[in-house]
Amino acid sequence: MLTTTNINLEKEKQARIFDQEFYPQADALFSFAYGLTRNEADASDLVQETYLKAFRFIDSYLEGTNAKAWLFRILKNAFINNYRKKSKRPTQVDFEDLVNIHQEEDTALNSYVDLREDVYERIIGDEVTIAISNLSVDYRTVLLLCDIEGFTYEEISKIIDIPIGTVRSRLFRARNLLKKELSAYAQSLGFEDKRK
Amino acid sequence: MITQKNNQELVRKVNMYLDNELTPEAERALLREIQGNPAYMQILSKEKSFREFIKSRVQRKKVSPALIQSIKDKINI
Repeated sequence: MLTTTNINLEKEKQARIFDQEFYPQADALFSFAYGLTRNEADASDLVQETYLKAFRFIDSYLEGTNAKAWLFRILKNAFINNYRKKSKRPTQVDFEDLVNIHQEEDTALNSYVDLREDVYERIIGDEVTIAISNLSVDYRTVLLLCDIEGFTYEEISKIIDIPIGTVRSRLFRARNLLKKELSAYAQSLGFEDKRK
Repeated sequence: MITQKNNQELVRKVNMYLDNELTPEAERALLREIQGNPAYMQILSKEKSFREFIKSRVQRKKVSPALIQSIKDKINI
């Protein structure tokens, strides 16, 4: 039977988890949400929904474990449920998961893209954000989780429910696509790669 | 000479190394392979610079105190 004391202890525990483990992740969650939605209002809604769901399912969270990964997983699921459905684009089959065997043959995406370091000086922060925004959501997600948030391949695999091998190949392609995008932008500014 | 295939394989390993995803043994083997090879060293240097560049240029967003307060009011523990 739940006594008043038990209920109070439970509330204390929940408040402690939120104050010490969940709320400190708010900026990281908002950055990730913005990276996914590309819109501040939608990102705010997504963060709010994430915290409300975290409260609803707090019994399934083990205090002191990886709060950041747990919250990011909730946010990612909320994003998929709410925002991908809104997309007017027809549902696309993820051939990456279905025909993994052909990955190595896709030379266009698997080839190494070499971006000169002096290109960096010509690119401002906004352009990097825009270039990341131009990546498809699957590539954008792994890039943000790994390169910006610092999650391991294993954590990313759990957050977005894909095999580690797929995390690795998506990351490789995402970085290549980003380099291509930034390289094209640098060229549009008049930067010329004179290497032979 | 670096062939396209060797190059791709090396870049994959370098990426995993920079992501701290190689086993200590694989990491040692990669560093042995890279050391003394200027072309390989250059690939490692460029990949590292690219990571640092992206991380430094992506603007981190800050959640508004009003949003946090609104969430706290709704949860009301």
